[in-house]
Amino acid sequence: MISPVKIWRNQKRIRQLLGLKGKIVSFTKIFVPPAGFEAQAPYIVALVKLANGQNFTAQLVDWEDKHLQIGQKVKTVLRKTRDPGEEGIIPYGVKFRPI
Amino acid sequence: MKINIAGAATTKFGELWRRSPRDLIKEAANNALDQAKMKPFAVEAVFVGNMLSSSLGNQDHLGAFFAEELGMPVAAMKIEGACASGGLAVHSAVMAIQSGLYETVLVLGVEKMTDHKPEEVAQMLMGAGTDAEREAGATFPGLYAIMARCHMQKYGTTEEDMAQVAVKNHYHASLNSHAQFVFPVTLEKVMKSPKVADPLKLLDCSPITDGAAAVILTKIKNNEVNIIASAVATDTLGLSEREDLTGLKAVRVASQKAYQMAGISPKEIDVAEVHDCFTIAEIMAMEDLGFFEKGKAARAITSGKTKLGGSGPIINTSGGLKACGHPVGATGVKQIVEIYNQLKGIAGRKQVEGAKIGLTHNVGGSGATAVVHILKKD
Repeated sequence: MISPVKIWRNQKRIRQLLGLKGKIVSFTKIFVPPAGFEAQAPYIVALVKLANGQNFTAQLVDWEDKHLQIGQKVKTVLRKTRDPGEEGIIPYGVKFRPI
Repeated sequence: MKINIAGAATTKFGELWRRSPRDLIKEAANNALDQAKMKPFAVEAVFVGNMLSSSLGNQDHLGAFFAEELGMPVAAMKIEGACASGGLAVHSAVMAIQSGLYETVLVLGVEKMTDHKPEEVAQMLMGAGTDAEREAGATFPGLYAIMARCHMQKYGTTEEDMAQVAVKNHYHASLNSHAQFVFPVTLEKVMKSPKVADPLKLLDCSPITDGAAAVILTKIKNNEVNIIASAVATDTLGLSEREDLTGLKAVRVASQKAYQMAGISPKEIDVAEVHDCFTIAEIMAMEDLGFFEKGKAARAITSGKTKLGGSGPIINTSGGLKACGHPVGATGVKQIVEIYNQLKGIAGRKQVEGAKIGLTHNVGGSGATAVVHILKKD
């Protein structure tokens, strides 16, 4: 179970990760999701090298087939990440969008 | 180092809906005790390798839970390191004996997974990953798929190469009555199986499994198979923080430590049980353990070198995680059982003739924990 307190604590870190550009290092298309992600499957999870040198793993959204390649340029955006569950708090987090 | 293995046993692995964790460890422990010709009171401590008893089973006190079940009111504790929990339990038992505190220790590995929905199990297994990976909706097949794509990009590894690992390990499992999947598969069947996390397909992935394994380690000379090296290394929890995604650094570090401890080179290994949670993981293990050069393992596997009857080292005679099954906390202990059987010469139809030195390779998470043991026959 994700505690609302943990969501609140983690979401304070998100701002620093928004609007960053990067390139896809590797990716996968998830067909069998974990609990909380059933409605989104299949979806793309990408490992991206950000311009600041840091790597980050998150979902890729708004993609077309041509974007699914190593080296594709992306930028970080704010999105809902998973089902809110019983607590009802919508968890937001970082995802990538092709540019 | 010389720690004697007095007895070793596993239960049948599979979807064991009629059986509880208590039943499973009782069977494994009693068979190991019988084999060692020991009574329960000879055991001075119990180490339990398990990952998910808390999240899936609501049981957080496993040491005392199983000690009671076995009638052994001695020091007992759970050791956890994701899918490397079993290997870490063996490592902890080795430390306990080396320290001089205990002479004889029982190591149990157990996991009960098939009582739950796959989505729940996938979510709980992601407990071994990072917050970012969980928020991304990543799964373990997904994380290994990300590594597989890097390996394919850099070394030209293909989906067929990965499928060959499943074909080999299913063949071995077809000779192992304790395996979850006691049947061979064809390359075509693997290639046509549905995608789980592209490029990994269903038959590239180890299954969700129930099972238990037990080994009795002792300082007293009981028979001719000994653990001569036990090494652990860790790396970053998540993939994002790693420099290289085409192999596992923790495996390279732990195996080098183990070879040094044992005073042997990778070439001397006759038989090994490696952590093929996904087919790409066996390819990377072959390279990280030093059996083949980087980028050359896939060809060696396809040519049959690591299959029973090949030039060796023979890999995953049990069927590996892929086909024998992967009850996560039991796997690291089961690997010791299989190598023990091989070195004792009691592995039956899957016996590697004349095997003298064996290795086990147990990995936690996407490579954050690696445990390597080397076993030798006197």
